[in-house]
Amino acid sequence: MREIIAGIFICMGTIVFALSLLGIYRLKYVMNRMHAAAMGDTMGLGLVVIGLIILGHDVFHIAKYILMILFFWMSSPIASHMIGKVEMLTNKDYDERVHGK
Amino acid sequence: MSMEVSTIIQMLLVVFLIASAIGVSVTRNLFIAVIVFMGYSSIMAIIWVFLQSPDLAITEAAVGAGVDSVLFFLTLKKVHALKGTREG
Amino acid sequence: MKEEKSFWRKLNAWINGEEALIHADEYIARREQPKKRQWLKRPNIQEIKSNKGLYWFLCVLISIVFITIMLLVVSNLPTFGDPMDPANNEVMERYLEKGIEETGAINFVAGMILDYRAFDTFGESNVLFLAVICVLMLLKRDKKNISEAEDKEIAEDEMLDAADHKSILKVGAKYLSPLIILYGIYVILNGHLSPGGGFSGGSIIGAGLILYAAANGHKKMQTFFTFKTFTGISVACLLTYCACKSYSFFTGANHVGYAIPKGTPGNILSAGFILPLNICVGLIVAATMYGFYALFTKGDI
Repeated sequence: MREIIAGIFICMGTIVFALSLLGIYRLKYVMNRMHAAAMGDTMGLGLVVIGLIILGHDVFHIAKYILMILFFWMSSPIASHMIGKVEMLTNKDYDERVHGK
Repeated sequence: MSMEVSTIIQMLLVVFLIASAIGVSVTRNLFIAVIVFMGYSSIMAIIWVFLQSPDLAITEAAVGAGVDSVLFFLTLKKVHALKGTREG
Repeated sequence: MKEEKSFWRKLNAWINGEEALIHADEYIARREQPKKRQWLKRPNIQEIKSNKGLYWFLCVLISIVFITIMLLVVSNLPTFGDPMDPANNEVMERYLEKGIEETGAINFVAGMILDYRAFDTFGESNVLFLAVICVLMLLKRDKKNISEAEDKEIAEDEMLDAADHKSILKVGAKYLSPLIILYGIYVILNGHLSPGGGFSGGSIIGAGLILYAAANGHKKMQTFFTFKTFTGISVACLLTYCACKSYSFFTGANHVGYAIPKGTPGNILSAGFILPLNICVGLIVAATMYGFYALFTKGDI
């Protein structure tokens, strides 16, 4: 029973990852791509790690997984923020691109 | 044809590894080449785990994907090969 | 002026050793203008474009030659996993059977690279030190290596660093970099018990230092990591490594007459010299990684 639930969670996580990859591939502008990539980092990773936590058989295992999630959820938004800031500062057509005309 | 799942995953990883190695050398844009090289290092780290040498995997992930690409980007900035920086 | 060059005059010149001066006018007239050498020859784009097919052909040819040579070498290698091939000799058996007993390290890779083959690792650390010295020679900003544009850039960077003292990046780096450095220290200190060791832990610490430096700017970093710290750490660690292994080799490199206790395998304080050697290698690698970053960005550590 435990394995089945964990499997469902991990499969959902991989599907989210696949969707975010599809988004990165199909969208053409940095900001849109960032949105797609952030989905895989937060929700996909979260679902996969929840599945692994259900499978884990030790308190230290679970603590390590939670630390991993915490690290990702701290570092990934900061990286996205920096990418967005650089795009805003360096792209000359930013206003046209984002706000239209 | 009875293959284990881990064998299939390893074969897929090797195919990706070769693809990214060719990609690094074919790409004209140096920025993209550095990012593809980061992907190469990450795949290599996973392959090291499959080959049962976690020591090398940790080193590969930290040096290849982390510090190396920072140094490559800094070099590209130093020789003014990046678009959008001060001298473009 | 022709008649002046009489016999007597020539003789006079010969005695005085000024022969060459008589023919100087002719020589100057005959001499070709020195060619202006072009040291930096810019490739002609049109020429390259017309020869594109040739380049393509040569690239493919050279690649095919090298690929063939390497494939031939691979096909002549002994079969992987074959019990009769020369890689399966008594050295491996000895390592597997007596490794933990002789080195005292649970993680046997650490026992191998820092005990049996410690000389190799010493060479690797020296290579890192040499590399950072080369970068230092090329990129250090001193009296002869200053340009106005770079000065301006650095002033701008410092202004930007000082301007936003509560940006998201700075707050994030404040919480993240201690965690990364702590993890690196854990990896180094557990090098003889779990996967990891000096090189990996050192590069993790170096990444943490790079994150801190990128977020908080060069000036803040210099409050605790200056050029003096860098040279001190590198040289002291290399010398410590050298001294430890010299002692080991001096006693015969066979752990006989060796005053360092090995401890029980599995404890933190065990495995003889492996823990201090791991710490030395880790500190060198961390300092080198940060040194590369600082030299490439600011030209000064």
